[in-house]
Amino acid sequence: MTQLVQLALTGVMVGGLYAMVAVAIVLVYKSTRVVSLAHGQIMSFGALAFWFAIIPWGLPILVGLAVALGFAVILGWGIERFAMRPLIGQPLFAAFLNTFALFLVMDGVFQLALKGSSESFSSFLPGGMVSIHGVPVPLSHVVSFLVAISLFAALALMFRYTKVGLGMRATAEDHQLAQSTGISVRSIFSVIWVISAVVAAVAGIALANVMDISYPLPYVGIKGLIVALLGGLESLPGALLGGLILGLLENVSAGYLDPLVGGGVKEVAAYVLLLLILLIKPYGLFGLVRIERI
Amino acid sequence: MWRPCGTFDETYAKDMAIVRTWRHWAALIAALLGLFLLPLWGPYYLVAFMNNLAVTIIAVLGLQIVSGYCGQISFGQAAFMAVGAYASAILTLKGGLSFWVALPLSGILTGLFGLIGGAPSLRIKGFYLAMATIAIHFVTMWLILHLDITGATGGLNPAPPSIGSYSFDTDERIYYIIVPVMLIMTCGARNLIRTRVGRAFVAIRDNDLAAQVMGVNLFYYKMLAFFISCVYAGIAGSLWAHMVQVVHPEQFTLLHALWYIGMLIVGGMGSIPGVFFGAIFIRILDELVLSVSPVLAGWFPWLGQAPAAALGVTAFGVVIVLFLIREPRGLAHRWEIIKASTRLYPFAH
Repeated sequence: MTQLVQLALTGVMVGGLYAMVAVAIVLVYKSTRVVSLAHGQIMSFGALAFWFAIIPWGLPILVGLAVALGFAVILGWGIERFAMRPLIGQPLFAAFLNTFALFLVMDGVFQLALKGSSESFSSFLPGGMVSIHGVPVPLSHVVSFLVAISLFAALALMFRYTKVGLGMRATAEDHQLAQSTGISVRSIFSVIWVISAVVAAVAGIALANVMDISYPLPYVGIKGLIVALLGGLESLPGALLGGLILGLLENVSAGYLDPLVGGGVKEVAAYVLLLLILLIKPYGLFGLVRIERI
Repeated sequence: MWRPCGTFDETYAKDMAIVRTWRHWAALIAALLGLFLLPLWGPYYLVAFMNNLAVTIIAVLGLQIVSGYCGQISFGQAAFMAVGAYASAILTLKGGLSFWVALPLSGILTGLFGLIGGAPSLRIKGFYLAMATIAIHFVTMWLILHLDITGATGGLNPAPPSIGSYSFDTDERIYYIIVPVMLIMTCGARNLIRTRVGRAFVAIRDNDLAAQVMGVNLFYYKMLAFFISCVYAGIAGSLWAHMVQVVHPEQFTLLHALWYIGMLIVGGMGSIPGVFFGAIFIRILDELVLSVSPVLAGWFPWLGQAPAAALGVTAFGVVIVLFLIREPRGLAHRWEIIKASTRLYPFAH
């Protein structure tokens, strides 16, 4: 029983991180209708910038955070301006393929910057274990999870109460209607990419504290995409719930099935889940079902 | 179809011919002769490059049929190729079959496996299908890594093909298996797309609901597209396995599937010559990066010791972004423009 609770708790904590990546993807999808594969890389770049700032350059953690987030802002803006904007008006599928090309470009740069090794923050968050109702859980997981939740709350508030948030909601509804009420859809796209890059970077930093910065890190972006699909591509609460479900499922299934099949269940559980979602409920838990007309 | 001025097709057969004029025939025969004489005078690395290229072209032809013509984007081609390679290796090593039986058999087995891969296409399409094929890729590769029969992380070592005591064990020798197979497969693909089946594929790509209304059986034709595409992948995998004589999960990563899709984008979706343009373009780009990167590493020490792989991926990504933005219809479209303008010279229209 304790084992189950511990697996579940760790899973939920990791799931919070997946949810953050998924939120970044959902943000972009809601307003631009583009599904992004590139967020795994944006995330890793955020983590890498943070690592460069605090370990080789020796900056204090808060300054390092500012550097990493500033870098993410530039990255998000640059991607929107130079790669995504020229594709406005082309089929959406071209934009999707474009994000995968961006994934490749950044993958190469990431490998160059990493030089084949793997880096870790040597836990800038306080280490050790805490016990929640008598179940030990790594503290770094807990802090990362709290960061995820508070970021999510901040985003929800921004969407609800700020003018930019209102513009984003309007753009998500209908591009032409938004444009005709005086909202600059183009600048909304820009802002959305910047915000989503920042969210992804925070996710990356939190994630890199749990796992190392190494070659597989960008591929967590694909898991973020799975989470976004599970929750429904339009839905922010769906992303949160989906992240928790995936984290839970991965950890619990790995804990119980690994001894039976000889390991490695964690790597494949997410993809089996993805296949099941796509076959049973392709638009996710809270996504809008699209009706097609000829 | 465009014709040069003064060329008339008087019979139906002439109208449908792929090779039209005596100039086409001359060019075709010269190209075939050149291809078959290449290993006799060509440098060793060129032959190895051509082998690699031909296997890639077979896999990308399959992808072109399912993605370019039938419109079902598949990121699973590398995994399907892996299934073909492993099927062929297991059939020859453990089943005791000869390569000549295992080659078509592994194609058909992969095709049947592809029916599982194509099943989601009945409910979902576009981006959702692409994600499903990514999932299929990872699940397939995970199975290959965890089953006993595939040798897990150790891989398998299939023997080179042979006739009697003559073994096709060098690059120059196996060239004479790979390139003819590639030509036959190209012929097959080129002819497939102008049959009833090919027209059904194009109708599904352009609008699947409209196609269904017109009486195209979506279930049958989508599955058929995946089947044919996977037969191509399986044959490519089998050839690959017996060419390099090592089968290992590392040879079939998601990155490879992305390379194949990239070749389609560069070459042009929905065009058989586009497959050749894309594959040749990307492979040459790859070779260029391989030869340039040590020089770059010498000039810029911060790039690290061996930046070739990373630089290759980056260059490939940049090329795809540029093609999507500047030339979304690929090199095949540019080729059509060049052909039309030379035909019309000196007039503009």
